[in-house]
Amino acid sequence: MQMSRKIINKLAPVLCLGLAAIAIAGCSSEEMPKGSTKSAESTQPLSHLSYWKEMHPDAAAIMKSYGEITAIKEIENNTGVKIDYQHPAQGQGGEQFNLMMASKSLPDVVEYSWNNYPGGAQKAIQDGKIIPLNDYLDHAPNFKKLLDDNPEWRRQASTDKGDIIGFPFIRPVRKLQTHDGPVIRKDWLDKLGLPIPKTIDEWYTVLKAFKEQDPNGNGKADEIPIMIGAGELAFTGVFGIPNGFYHEGNTVKYGPVQPEYKQYLEAMNRWYNEGLLDKDFAANDSKMYDAKMTGNQVGAAVMAVGGGLGRFMDLMESKEPKFRLVATPYPTLKSGDKPIFGQMDNQIVGIFTAITGSNKHVAETVKFFDYFYSEEGRMILNFGKEGVSYTMDNGFPKYTDSVMHNPDGLPLAQSLKQHVLSADSGPFLQDERYIEQYAARPEQQEALTVWAEPSNEKRMPPITIAREDNSRYASIMNDIDTYKNEMIVKFIMGAESLNKFDEYVATMKSMGLDEAIQMQQSGLERYNNR
Amino acid sequence: MLHKRSLGEWIFSGVNTCFMILLCFVTLYPFLYVLFASLSDPTEMARFRGMLFYPTGFNLEAYKAVMNNPMILTGYRNTIFYVAGGTAINLFMTTLGAYALSRRNVYFNNSIMFMIVITMVFNGGLIPTFLLVNSLGMMDTPWALLLPGAVSSFNLIIMRTAFQAVPVSLEESARIDGANDWTIMSRIIVPLSMPVIAVMILWYAVGHWNSYFSALIYLRDRELFPLQLVLREILISNSTDSMTTDAAASDRLDIGITIKYATIIISTLPILCLYPFLQKYFVHGALIGALKE
Amino acid sequence: MPNVQGNIVKTATGNQADKKWSMIKRDIIRNRYIYLILLPVIAYYIVFHYGPMYGLQIAFKDYGLADGIWGSPWVGFDHFKSFFGNFYFWRLIRNTLLINIYELLFAFPASIILALLLNEIRKGFFKRIVQTISYLPHFISIVVVVGMMIDFFARDGLINNLLLMIGLQPIAFMQEPAWFRFMYISSGIWQGIGWGSIIYLASIANIDPTLYDAARIDGAGRWKQTLHITLTGIMPTIVIMLILNMGSMLSVGSEKIILMYNPITYETADVISTYVYRKGILGADFGYTAAVGLFNSVISFILIVLANSISKRVSEHKLW
Repeated sequence: MQMSRKIINKLAPVLCLGLAAIAIAGCSSEEMPKGSTKSAESTQPLSHLSYWKEMHPDAAAIMKSYGEITAIKEIENNTGVKIDYQHPAQGQGGEQFNLMMASKSLPDVVEYSWNNYPGGAQKAIQDGKIIPLNDYLDHAPNFKKLLDDNPEWRRQASTDKGDIIGFPFIRPVRKLQTHDGPVIRKDWLDKLGLPIPKTIDEWYTVLKAFKEQDPNGNGKADEIPIMIGAGELAFTGVFGIPNGFYHEGNTVKYGPVQPEYKQYLEAMNRWYNEGLLDKDFAANDSKMYDAKMTGNQVGAAVMAVGGGLGRFMDLMESKEPKFRLVATPYPTLKSGDKPIFGQMDNQIVGIFTAITGSNKHVAETVKFFDYFYSEEGRMILNFGKEGVSYTMDNGFPKYTDSVMHNPDGLPLAQSLKQHVLSADSGPFLQDERYIEQYAARPEQQEALTVWAEPSNEKRMPPITIAREDNSRYASIMNDIDTYKNEMIVKFIMGAESLNKFDEYVATMKSMGLDEAIQMQQSGLERYNNR
Repeated sequence: MLHKRSLGEWIFSGVNTCFMILLCFVTLYPFLYVLFASLSDPTEMARFRGMLFYPTGFNLEAYKAVMNNPMILTGYRNTIFYVAGGTAINLFMTTLGAYALSRRNVYFNNSIMFMIVITMVFNGGLIPTFLLVNSLGMMDTPWALLLPGAVSSFNLIIMRTAFQAVPVSLEESARIDGANDWTIMSRIIVPLSMPVIAVMILWYAVGHWNSYFSALIYLRDRELFPLQLVLREILISNSTDSMTTDAAASDRLDIGITIKYATIIISTLPILCLYPFLQKYFVHGALIGALKE
Repeated sequence: MPNVQGNIVKTATGNQADKKWSMIKRDIIRNRYIYLILLPVIAYYIVFHYGPMYGLQIAFKDYGLADGIWGSPWVGFDHFKSFFGNFYFWRLIRNTLLINIYELLFAFPASIILALLLNEIRKGFFKRIVQTISYLPHFISIVVVVGMMIDFFARDGLINNLLLMIGLQPIAFMQEPAWFRFMYISSGIWQGIGWGSIIYLASIANIDPTLYDAARIDGAGRWKQTLHITLTGIMPTIVIMLILNMGSMLSVGSEKIILMYNPITYETADVISTYVYRKGILGADFGYTAAVGLFNSVISFILIVLANSISKRVSEHKLW
């Protein structure tokens, strides 16, 4: 008795509050109407467009809004449409995106990796969040022509059901799709009289020499012959597998459980034990990475063409005049083999500017973005305004000096972003004449060619997991990734014996790996049937 | 204060002083390191090892780069507003709550207290909170940063504990003189609890100064961003984030190692400069508390 | 028989309820100003805390962004089952609990001890300097603190250079699972010891000075004064802080750990919140996140209630 009354007394106000809360919740909760919200077509010309887009980190440091970009101003000028940009804070765009999707009112267009919408892009269409472009292609002659001329682009820009997700960012040529790869200190090789390594055995010889023969000449064996992370594609690729899913004759497989992966781990374990592999390979952050590179300690690494190779050459120019990084081909097992795997983006990168269900002027918006894909629009977005950010030199759009050598001392990556979107992303075709000027050093141009060698025939195309499998898939792969990342580091460091490799494979299977592979498999089949 | 000190007390004082000096060094050195590093030459800094006692190679490029960021000044202005406005709201609301809940013989106080504790462990989660703020029309306005956190339950409880410690006799005599609750609160309880109120001001203000999460999810207009968000952007954009697979991100140029340090200095300097003054008032408040009789 | 008794009980409760209501009425009239003062605070809690609580239900639902909170289909205890049945469940619980227990054992008393020691310093100027300096780290963002840590404790960083100088082997502080907890707790103490002592110092300042005079007359030395007057005086604050701390036994902020850990240290570093971050937040699995959050809340709630009632019994200090 006593007790229960006490409890009632305690609970009474809480209950009252609970009821009140539910009442409030009832008013405040915003539920989306089911199904696609076909918006009313209006005949008024488009004058303002709200546009949600994550800012590129380099741009965030120099501007408040993309409306300040020369190319965007030019577009606004030519079309009479004013873009009102909404930019989420850096680093949490994904979180803000998810929350935004939970509410009813969306900006007119949203640029995002729409396949990351919970449940996938198809679900976003089904939820009425985005309006697929299929029915509006007649308003977009330029864009339609691109898709018609390049069926593969259309395939990559569509869902399994054939709905076109939005206006894609397109990297049309291989030179733009590949930007990462292995590099080596050419000056060290020359000093020791060694050729550029091609096979894994040649790599071992070279790294061993780096370790033992003091190529940096400071009398200490402080060289880090190679600085790469665990599961680096360039070196798992030696054994014919990537660090994730791939396919062989349209059968999906998972690299980290293949016997070849064990061979990869054995090689890395040996490198680690002999001091060839960076001791901190699993814990490097950008600062440590930079410190080791500029500290004249590292012999080889895998890095980007601009932010890596180009930047370190710039940084070291005055300190170590001999410092020279060159790209090496993706290594292979036997000499004469052609590498199978290498870093490569899809032509349709996966970033779409999609028209949302809240857009009141769908046709006009489509017409507006079609301009981005016209010859004129493409020039503006890649090169900006003639006379301001580029000049025509024998038919070649040359960035002006003030862009290439910013008077305020901004690095190229940033000064480009003040004027154009080519070093960023957006609804347009990237132009290779941009990368030719962005990665202007001969070493960089060579890298782009050398790294483009791998056939990548076994690489997974941009498939999507079926919507009903999505959360199960995410859940399985999360556990598997955690486990895999932890174990491969232990295998390489020798904290776990490689005799346990079978056990490791069995554990992943028990976590549901086969189920995940099956989901990938059906995704691949649906993709091929698009 | 005249009393004999025993030998033990002398030794204790000595040890205590040494300990405090050590603590100061351990606390302070990393800051000096940051200061020196921010003034150093980026490439030399990158390969520097060991203890810094002065900048290695003098270079102000990092500061220039940070100041080039158009968001820094905007961020400053906004943060000052959020700190001042937010702390005022916090203090007002918390004082009201703490006073009312510290009264004895109020029937519902215990249940209300219990109800408040419940909110400390149970919350509706990100999405409903977001939808609520959205439907109250506070999206993309300063209110989204000021109102949802108007009372910190933790601080409310601390303040209530302090208010309870004020002797009942003072209140009773005031009541006999005809004072009502408002007068008792503002004329007796609050003045007598200055040390705790000073702590509250400090806690709330620093909370607003350091907070970024609400801004992160509620703001899309960069004109409203607080300084911490700007600072975070600079720091995060300068680190390799293994979770981003964005191709464009991997291709970006790093804007220098020392820029991180310069950002820290620029963003903490005003607080460090202001701090000794605040500290004076704070200690002053504590002294009033100690001397009251 | 049971019917009769039931009726009697009912009337008894009825009478008591009447009495209760009149008592409540009297209370509301007598304390009307207090309730009036409390009104904005209650309104705040209803709107901003109880308002969103309907969202807790997504712990039992397969939350879809377009379906909304009410419209998503129920899945019962699926999220809970998947969490409890997780390969790492026990490791997560163990890591989370150990970090909290160590925090309670080392970080919690550290601030109290600092406050007591500061109180013993007679020179106001020196005391003020120490205070000012010890609060500083609190103003530094966690990103920076961890960045500096990684720097100082790297294989060839400052600390290892010093170790080498005194003839010890270098230690990979940030890469050894065995060192993780030490690094986490000690950096937490470094950053929070001064700030944490503020509340105890304020509470010491509130102690009636006549008590010290009386003790001195009784011949109590400084040690005895500290023990019997200062420590006793700040006991309510300590107890309240302890109770509140108990409530967060199962939650560790994920932000710092995410910055500090790497796959090698998962073994000791992976806690519930970091796991949920990887699984729920990055994967936008809000139902799962809510389920784990709810599990945390229930445990925290039990712990707080327990701590409060123990404290009520042992020391008479209580939260409600």
